[in-house]
Amino acid sequence: MTGVDDSELAARASRGDPDAFGELVDRHAPMARRVAYAVLEDQEDADDAAQEGFLSAWQALGRYDPKRAFRPWLMQIVVNAARDLRRRRRVRAAEPLEYVAAAARDDPARETGEIHLGEQLRNALATLPERQRLAVVLFDAEGYPQAEIARMLGIPEGTVKSDVFHGRRALRKVLGSVKEEWDE
Amino acid sequence: MSDQGNDLKRDIELGTALGAALEMPHHGAFVTRMKALARQARPRTWDEVLAGWFWQGVLTTSMVLVAVLVGLNHVDGDATPLAGEESVAVQLIDAQRPGADVILASMTGAR
Repeated sequence: MTGVDDSELAARASRGDPDAFGELVDRHAPMARRVAYAVLEDQEDADDAAQEGFLSAWQALGRYDPKRAFRPWLMQIVVNAARDLRRRRRVRAAEPLEYVAAAARDDPARETGEIHLGEQLRNALATLPERQRLAVVLFDAEGYPQAEIARMLGIPEGTVKSDVFHGRRALRKVLGSVKEEWDE
Repeated sequence: MSDQGNDLKRDIELGTALGAALEMPHHGAFVTRMKALARQARPRTWDEVLAGWFWQGVLTTSMVLVAVLVGLNHVDGDATPLAGEESVAVQLIDAQRPGADVILASMTGAR
């Protein structure tokens, strides 16, 4: 089904075509899982949330307006599913978040520069408030315009801009220090 | 660091590093599982929804009809004996009615 655009696939899926829906999952699962991870900071939980998001979208396809872009519509559902799951698992989620945040501050391996850049970035992300994490990931990693992110998260565009600014500051510090280590 | 001063433009370097950091493994397994779940949770088409409503509608209509019929029968059952029966006094007053003397005799103890 390559070459068929998302709106056409969504229209077919809304008529009950599971193959069309499968193609949409194949196309958008990587992004959905990354965005869910940005909310939940745990791979298993992120997969559960992405799965719930896709199933909700599958059930709600009849209400999807094909004049709107499909991807932001889907991501909004995934973000909501991830936030909902985090609320339900608040107690469970609190422990790893705290652990990861502490690791970002105190891990001795960090000094030796042995931690992989990805792990350092994930640790730095964990120290940010959820909204800043989402804003930076959706803007810099996934490439959504700030106005679209504002609609997705239900916040003013100015708040997105501010969240991106503050989130980037922490992450750029990590990226910069790792690059310095690499240069030495 | 690229685009540090411009927060309206993507920081491609940071974005690429973040995207790689958040990349999740086992894409194929996730998609396969999702497809299987989607087949199980397939949303119903309009004709399936209407078909579901049809049998519920038939059942509800039947129950309402039965309730109405039972109700009507109940009302008729209450009204019929009242309309058909006459009091003893009325029967006694009507001298033309056969058996009035028998009733009168029984009431007075056949004296």
